Amino acid sequence: MISFVRNLMYFIVLVLVQVLILNNIHFLRLVTPFLYLYFIIKLPVGLTSSKITSASFLIGLTIDIFSNTPGMHAAACTLAGFSRPLIIRVLMGEELSDTVFPSYKSFGYGGFSRLVATLVVIHHLTLFLLESLTLFDPLFLSIRIVASITTVTLLICIVEAFNIESQKNGD
Amino acid sequence: MRKLLDFLVRKRHWFVFILLEFVSLTLIYRNNVYQRNIMFSTANVIAANIVSVTGSVTSYLDLREINKELLERNGKLEMELLMFKELVEAMKADTAVFRAFSMDNVRLFPYDFVTAKVINNSVTYLSNYITLNKGKKDGINPDMGVMSDNGAVGIVIKASDYYSVVLPLLNTKFNLSCKVLGSSHIGSLSWNGRNARYANLDELPRHVQFQIGDTIVTSGYSTVFPEGILVGFVSSFERQRDDNFNSLKIELATDFQRLNNVMVIRNFRQEEQRAIEEEVKVND
Repeated sequence: MISFVRNLMYFIVLVLVQVLILNNIHFLRLVTPFLYLYFIIKLPVGLTSSKITSASFLIGLTIDIFSNTPGMHAAACTLAGFSRPLIIRVLMGEELSDTVFPSYKSFGYGGFSRLVATLVVIHHLTLFLLESLTLFDPLFLSIRIVASITTVTLLICIVEAFNIESQKNGD
Repeated sequence: MRKLLDFLVRKRHWFVFILLEFVSLTLIYRNNVYQRNIMFSTANVIAANIVSVTGSVTSYLDLREINKELLERNGKLEMELLMFKELVEAMKADTAVFRAFSMDNVRLFPYDFVTAKVINNSVTYLSNYITLNKGKKDGINPDMGVMSDNGAVGIVIKASDYYSVVLPLLNTKFNLSCKVLGSSHIGSLSWNGRNARYANLDELPRHVQFQIGDTIVTSGYSTVFPEGILVGFVSSFERQRDDNFNSLKIELATDFQRLNNVMVIRNFRQEEQRAIEEEVKVND
């Protein structure tokens, strides 16, 4: 129950921050920071795959509603959420306890940033490729993808460093 | 059988995944057909309400700039008015009084406008949309043109009771029929998805004379925009592959990144024109 409320808080706060502030940022016309991915990353390790996939789909759909892009964020997030348990198993092995959620403390700096980077890459590749299906402009597209992935990964790592919850009970 | 069920239960996250991806892709696909059926969009009351909160906050931030622009525009219009007044006076003095003036010759201007405020806007995607704070209750319906103080903005594609969503020039799915001011050959304006300041005017016949800096206006060949609404200025051009057409790079007059107040153009005769055009097509 507490875990559910915690996840819901993450959901609401991140959606609001994303929709009201970050969606209006277009750094150098290239990068819009999709910080809401932080929600998918911070879900507890113990959740079943189907729950994580559905939660990711929900946040993607919510972002879609607010940015008038039906389905794109939802599709990208579903893929990211679906692959999250796999990535965690590959990166960290099987021996994590169920109540843990990813943070610097539980995953280590290297492990956590690798998780973030992998998820962001999966999400952004899907998102940008879906978006540009109609438009073939490979150079500009790859610049956008690389710039966005770098920015968002850095941003999430920074936010995690300042997250009070992780510092209190990260283990 | 039992083993099969067991397998299905164990792999159920695969089914969830495939189902959800299918839903998302269906949404994308349906949306691409033509942007009419966006169920999930900011025309949705809850979403629009949340977004309009920030809209009302940020609209104060640009007030100084907007005020300056309005003053300038006001001044310009006043000068124009004075000029026309003087012109009319001169003509009156110059011509004999024309008593048999028949009202039939006057084409009534069938347009009217509603002002609305932009509450959500994007410029970075390939498919950008703008949400306005007025909808059907204020007389806004799909297929109405939208313009700002500076020039054309886009077309209303969906209206709920109190909100509406606009397909702006900055959307790769949008084409607008335009012409160089002073000529009558039309070309089609579209956006290439890169820079929010520029768009391309393609299929303009090569013999049309123009210069860098010339004004591009709407052609009026649709029921959406009246003729002569400012769209942008020619910034450079190149020949298209088949050599019979020019492709022009247009600097847009509207600054989409600072869009705040817009006017939605209502055409009283849109229905009528549509109907008559449809009728002809049916008879074809």
